[in-house]
Order: sequence, then C-alpha cells, then structure tokens
Amino acid sequence: MIRRLGLAALASLVFAQVASAQTNLNVFVSPQQQPQLMRKAFDAYEAAHPGVKITIQSGGTTSELQAAYLNTVMSAKDSNLDIFLLDIVRPAQFAAANWTVPLNDQVGDAAALMKTYLPAYADADQVDGKLVALPAFADAMFLYYRKDLLEKYNVAVPKTWAEAAAAAKKIQEGEHNPDLQGVNFQGAPIEGTVCTFLLPYWSQGKNLVKDGALTWDKPAALKSFAVWKGMVDSGAAPRNSAEIITEQTRKDFQAGKSVFAVLWSYGWAQFQGPDSAVKDKVGVAVLPSVDGGQPVSCIGGWQWGVSAYSTHKKESIDLIRYMSSMDVSRQLAVEGSLMPVFPSLYQDPAVLKATPWFANALPVVTAAKSRPVTARYNEVSDIIRTSTNAVLAGSVGAEEAASQMEARLRRVLR
Amino acid sequence: MKGAFLSPAAMRRLAALAVVINGLFPAVWILFTSLKTERELTQTPITWWPHAPTLENFAHAFADQPLALFVFNSVAVALLATGLTLSVATLAAYALARLEISYRNTALSVIVATSTFPLVTLLVPLFETMRAVGLLNSYAALVLPYTVLSLPVCTLVLVSFFESIPADLENAARCDGCTRLGAMWRILLPLATPGMFTAGILTFVNSWDEFLLALSFNSAPGLRTLPVGITLYQGEFTFPWPVISAALVVGIVPVALLIVIFQQRVLSGLTAGGLK
Amino acid sequence: MARSWRDPSEQALARVLLAPAFALLALIVVYPVGRLLLTSLYDDSLTSGHAARFVGLENFQLVWEDPSFWSALINTLLIVLFTVPGAMVAGMLLALVANMPFRRKWPVRLALLIPWALPLAFVGLIAGWFFQSDYGIVNDVLRPFVSQKIIWFNSPTLSFAAMCMAIVWKTSSFVAMILLAGLQTIPADVYEAARVDGASKWQQFWQVTLPLLRPSIVVAAIFRTITALQTFDIPATMTRGGPGDATSTLAMYIHQTTVDFLDIGYGSALAVVMFAISMVVSTIYLRNLRTGN
Repeated sequence: MIRRLGLAALASLVFAQVASAQTNLNVFVSPQQQPQLMRKAFDAYEAAHPGVKITIQSGGTTSELQAAYLNTVMSAKDSNLDIFLLDIVRPAQFAAANWTVPLNDQVGDAAALMKTYLPAYADADQVDGKLVALPAFADAMFLYYRKDLLEKYNVAVPKTWAEAAAAAKKIQEGEHNPDLQGVNFQGAPIEGTVCTFLLPYWSQGKNLVKDGALTWDKPAALKSFAVWKGMVDSGAAPRNSAEIITEQTRKDFQAGKSVFAVLWSYGWAQFQGPDSAVKDKVGVAVLPSVDGGQPVSCIGGWQWGVSAYSTHKKESIDLIRYMSSMDVSRQLAVEGSLMPVFPSLYQDPAVLKATPWFANALPVVTAAKSRPVTARYNEVSDIIRTSTNAVLAGSVGAEEAASQMEARLRRVLR
Repeated sequence: MKGAFLSPAAMRRLAALAVVINGLFPAVWILFTSLKTERELTQTPITWWPHAPTLENFAHAFADQPLALFVFNSVAVALLATGLTLSVATLAAYALARLEISYRNTALSVIVATSTFPLVTLLVPLFETMRAVGLLNSYAALVLPYTVLSLPVCTLVLVSFFESIPADLENAARCDGCTRLGAMWRILLPLATPGMFTAGILTFVNSWDEFLLALSFNSAPGLRTLPVGITLYQGEFTFPWPVISAALVVGIVPVALLIVIFQQRVLSGLTAGGLK
Repeated sequence: MARSWRDPSEQALARVLLAPAFALLALIVVYPVGRLLLTSLYDDSLTSGHAARFVGLENFQLVWEDPSFWSALINTLLIVLFTVPGAMVAGMLLALVANMPFRRKWPVRLALLIPWALPLAFVGLIAGWFFQSDYGIVNDVLRPFVSQKIIWFNSPTLSFAAMCMAIVWKTSSFVAMILLAGLQTIPADVYEAARVDGASKWQQFWQVTLPLLRPSIVVAAIFRTITALQTFDIPATMTRGGPGDATSTLAMYIHQTTVDFLDIGYGSALAVVMFAISMVVSTIYLRNLRTGN
C-alpha cells in the first residue's frame, strides 16, 4: 500500500517533470525574411516534437538594424533568444564574441555535412575548425542584362569586364540616349561595395584573407580599382557610381535605364513585376571575369546560429539542423523563392517548376565565394567600402587608396 | 523707410511665406511622393505633381503593418514622457531659479552633463537596467529614458524663463496669504506658459523622434513606435519610398494637429495671464 | 540678496523640489555612465578572443594616436563651427517671423515645427534623396543654370556642404522654438519706450531684443552645440560618411566601434573623450547663463 502510494507520488513527480519539460524556443527572424514561411516549417517541427514550442521574435529589418538590435541584447548576455538568423558575414564575429555555441558535437562529421551545401558555406560557417552556424537560404550576385538590347546590337553576353564595357559603349552610342547607363553597380559606402571590390580581385585567383590572416595582393587590388574606375571614367558605368546603393541599381535597371546590372537575386522577381519597364526583356548570367581570370560571384544568404546564453542549447541545435535540411530548403525555394543552399535543389523539379530561372543560377552560386571570414570582418568591410567609394568618387587616387587599405588591413589582421 | 515699394505688412507676409515654404516643402514633397507610383519616381527629369495620383500607397501602408498602432504607441509614449518631464523639470527649475541654494551652479552643470553622453554608448547598460527592473517591453521602458533625455534642456529653458519673470509678483501674492508653491502655481506658471509650451514640445518631439532605444527595448510587435514601425516597410535591400512616404504622412498628421491646437491654447493662455 | 523674504526652510524645500529630477537622472544615467567610465580603462574587445583586462589609461593613449579619431573629430568640430551659428541665425530669423502679429499664426508655427516632427533618420534619407544627382530635386532646380549635373556626393566639399544644410534645416526649428518663447516674454512697452527714444527697428533689435533674449540664446546655444557634437543620424543616412570618410563624425565612429566592431573598451574611451569636450564647451556657456536676472 505504502509502496503503491510511493509509486503514485513518483509517477506524478515524473509526470510533472514531463509537463514542465515543455521547451520554449525563441527564434529571431526578421519580418522581411518571410516569417510566415518559417512559421510553417516551425509548425511542422512542433507537430513532430510535442513538448517543443517555438516563438518568433523580431527586431529590425535590414541586416544593419538587426545587428544593432542583436548586439545590444547579446552584449547584455540576454538569455531570452535561443536561435537567430544571421547575415552570412556575421557568424565569425558572433563566434569570436562567444555568442554562438559550436555545433560540432551534435552534427557528427561537420566536414562531411558542410560538403553537402554550396561550397562557399563551408568557409563562411566554420571558424578555426569549429562549425558555428548552418545555412538557411542562399543569395549571390548576378549579371542582369537587357536581352532585347543585346540582341538588337548583336552583342554576346559578356564574359569579361572589358567585353561588358565595350558592349555598353556600343549600345549607348547606338541608342543615342545620353541617359542610358551601361554597367550599373554599387559604389556607395555600403556593404554591397565590398563585393564590388572583391569581384575583380577574386577573379584574378587571389584571396584577401586566408585562415584569418591577410593575403593582400596589391596589383590585384589596383586591377580591381582599374576595372571599375575605368568604366566610370569612360562612361561605360554611371558617373555617379559612388552614390549608387543596391536599391538604386535595382530601380535604375527596372526603369529601363541600364544595359547591365550587378545585383543580388532579389532583382529577378522585381524585374518581372507589374511595375517593371523591362518585364520579359531581362537575362541573367554569371558575372564577367577580368581578362584571363575565372568567373566568381559574392555569396550572400542567412545562417542559423544558437545563442550561447540559451537555456535549451540541445533542443535549439536540433531545431536548426531541421531548418537547414534539404526538405526545408526545398520548401523555402518553392513557396518563397528563397535560393536553396544545396546544389542538387537547383535541378529539383519542384523548385524549377516554381522558379525556372534557378536553373541558370547553379553555375553562379557554385562559383560564389565568401567574403573574408574573420572575427573583425566589420572593420575589414569598413576599410574596403570607404576606400573603394573614395576611388570611385575620385576623391582619392587608386595608388594612394590601395596603400592606405593595406596599412589599415594590416593593423586589423596583424 | 528703404524699399518703400513694399509696405511693412507685405514684407511681413513675404517673410511668413518664405518660412512656410522652407518648413513645409519637404513634408509636402513626401505627401506628393505618397501619391505617386514607384515607376513615376524613377522617371527623369523628375516630376513634381503626381501624374496619376493614387491612394494605393496608403492602403498598403495600413494593410502591411499595424500603422495606427505605431502612431498610437508613439503618441502615448511621447505624451507620458512630456507630462512626466514637465512636472519634474518645473519643480527643479523653480528651486534653481527662486531659492537660495549654494550648489545651484553645480546642480545645473550636473544636469547639463547628463545630456552629453552619446546615447549609443549607454545602450547596453541601459538595457541591463531596464531588464533588472523588469520594464523591457513596456511604455515605461521608453518613457523613463525619454524623460531623462529631455530633462536637461527643459530644466534650463524653465530656469531661464522663471528668472526673466520678476519675483515681485509672487512676493505680492505671498503677502496676500498664498503659500510659496501656491504662488508658483497661480502666478509664476501662467506667466511662464510660453516656456512650459516650449519645454513640452521639446520633450514631445524628442520622444517622437527617438529610434535606437525604441528598437532595442520594445521589440514586442504590439509596442513598436512609429520610427521603428516605418523601417518595417523596407526590406533587406528594397526601400519603397511611396509606401514609406504614406506612412510618414500618416505619422505627421497627429503631430501637426497637436501643434495647431496647442499653440492656440497657449496664445489664449498668454492673454489671460495678463502679459502685454 | 535682494529677496524680500527669507525662508528658513528654503534649503529643505529646494531638496524636495530637486529630488525627483536627480532621482530620475540617477536611475537612468548613473549606472550606465559609471560603467562607461570603468570600461574605458579596460581592453574589452569582444572579437579579440580574450577576456577583458585592465589597462589603465592605455585606451586614451590609443585614441591620441588614432588617425580615424582625429579625422572624425575634425569633421565633427567643423560641423559645430558651421551648423551651430547657421542654426542660431536661421532659428532667430524663423522666431522673429513667427513672433510677428499675424491674424492667423498657425501656418507659421506649423512650418516652424514640422521639420522637427519628421524623425531624424528620415530627414537624412530625404535630404540624401534631394541631393541625389539623377532623382534629386536640387539638381532639378539647378538644371537651367548648369551645363552638367552636379554629383554632390562625389566631392568631399559638396557632400559636407549638403550635409550641413540638412542639419541646419532640421535643427533651426529647435532654436526657433526656444527663442520664440523668449521673445514672447518681452513686454511690448519696452519697445514702446525704445520707439519714443527714436530707435530704429534695427537698433531696437540690437539694443532691446538681443540683450533681453540672452538667457534663451544661451540655452539654445548650449544644447545646439551638444547635439552638434553628437551628430549622427543625418550623415549616417544621408552620406554614410562618404565619399571615403569625408563626412564621418565622432558619434558615427563611436557607434561603429561599439556596435559594429564590438570594441567596448575603446568605444567607451572615445565616448569619455567626447563627454570631456562637451563639458568644456557647456561650462563656458553656463558661465554666461548665470547672470539671468
């Protein structure tokens, strides 16, 4: 009798613990990253894992506003957030600040896992041999071109920047339109301008940072400045390139003002929209390379990380494993046109049925490289963007800018 | 008088026109923008009047985000901060302007000093303070810091105001049997209406404008203020000027109404106060 | 003192009246500022991979040797130099017009305050758009007078000038508000007396208005200077500090150092330096405020 009572007490104790083992996971997702789609995936996960309840939190839309929010919350060691969706340039910094937990112990063979994703993510999400984030969805920079104009002047899609400049000049002259821009790219002091600088630099087979150390190549940097500044000076690119932000490139091209645009994937859907002057006149291709160089692109996209202050790290890692799985990636591509993080999905029938142009995107995303992976990336980014902007504005010469860049980069990266 | 081809009244009106154009032009431009399509915005040469005015942007602004809620939150936070600031600053300013205290200048310096720290460096410790007292995601999380942000300027405005009003009037009232605070309430404050109005507007607009604290302390969707709310219309790259303009217009209207109503009150208060 | 009565409880009353203000300041400011002063003595960079360590005044040594600090400081001081007098003069003109005896006062008052009701960050965005070379209204107005479009943001000087214009536009409302309140307390009979003495409008302004307005002018100048030293939102959204770092300010550098670079120790040291500069300036002003009555 007594024993039975004891058992009942024990049972109720166990039961109470199961009930209180209800795990609440707070996930930080920007209102612009299709939280309704993420919610769908979370619902599926909750259904498969009773006892887990997922809440979406948000604060700020752009990458910069989110960083401002997350840096405040995380600096205050807040345990409220368990998981966050991070811009690709942030995991290294978050890991260095000990804001994320290493995932290695729970993913088995990290190297093998990362081989299943697009190659750039193996670089971006691993810092000093530790896996610190998992890819959610991808992005990359493309060359958008005016199919109609290229056909009209019988010009092939350019393979090099010199060809692009020549094609732009030919079409500009043929159209007798002084306002028609050739190559529209980002030159304002913004994050996108870091990619602008790196594209021709990488195309020469050079790296800026390797294993956290600076691998500066001054001739390659000067060549990169020469490519862009040369186009600005010759009129193949707009004279006001130094004030162009990402959204300006999109608007100019969408209004039919440019022959070429260097832009992220979000442009495609916008160019096909009802408000577009270039609907059905747009082609998309791999970005040109420097003469004799290799084609490259700049990888973007968002990564899942787990907060070091989370009180449910194990459950959180399990959830982000699911969110970075092929099924979810496919779902995000089909229902939200978010670019998949697995190469094979670019040939997946369901994905291609929803977004046929992804078929052209595979060579671009596989050639895409990750921006320097270092804890001090934000400083590196600041150095690159201000120098490139000053060169394009013409307020500092290329030679002087390259020397300053090198000196400043050496201070940051030893 | 020189330039006699214009009467003084006409010159005054011309000056007023210049002030109105200078102040309202950007707001009017935002209004025009809110009536344009995005396609019209990318035309060159640019258009001034909207070619085909549309209210679609306003529909979007209200449909995409709880815009009315943003406005309500902003008004509530700004009004609460204004009330609190005025009460606290009036008492402090009275003490500093009217009472014999040896540490007056030190007190003034300390009050001014608190406004010289850049907010961004105080953000994390402030966040910790708010979390410690359990105020995150509440109006108080913003009202308290906003009050402190505006307290220095309001106190100084009121000190200089009180000092410009002769103390004799209050003394006379005191002789008539008023207490000191009674004299302040009945004599000094009515005379200082323009100063109170200024201090109130200063606080209101400072609170209305603030972004960084609002973003970090009140992340719950139901508590977002207008400046934070408006950023929700932008995407990682996209910046839809027409819709954002519509939201800005909606946000400006309550402030404009408030200004028009308040300033009429203040003017009548002035004449009632007996100041010539 | 020329007070007609003395109250033995004056000190006690003063303490009671000042208590709420100082209690609030203490609650909100003391802990953060104390922590700021403390962290400025530490090498506390979250990206360094090592724990914070005490380094004494080393951060201030680094500030002294940092070229980015000096260039940001010079830009900031130039902004103070141009926009404080600019906003004071513009604000004075606005206040004088708003104080004129119109039958309907609200249109002018509204015009005075609307610049202020537009959130700061959006003023920067709108100003950036106005000066944009293709879609900006400034170039649209200038088109008949110039042969080629001006690219404002390509030139350090023009960028800086455009930014200063935006700042003056936005902040002159604040100055005008404070001065207008001061103007309203000047009794009409003072002017009457001056007129009887044969003073022209111009003389009345210099000999009556300005001296009587001095307390308001000092208050406006103190806070306009402090906010000018803290200039952040307008350049951050309008020029983003460009071209290069031609329009980058001290507050932007502090923001970058603490929020983007996560170098808390160094950022705190920069903030302390900024605080010291602001205090020197406001102490000079406060001396002027003392002779209030």
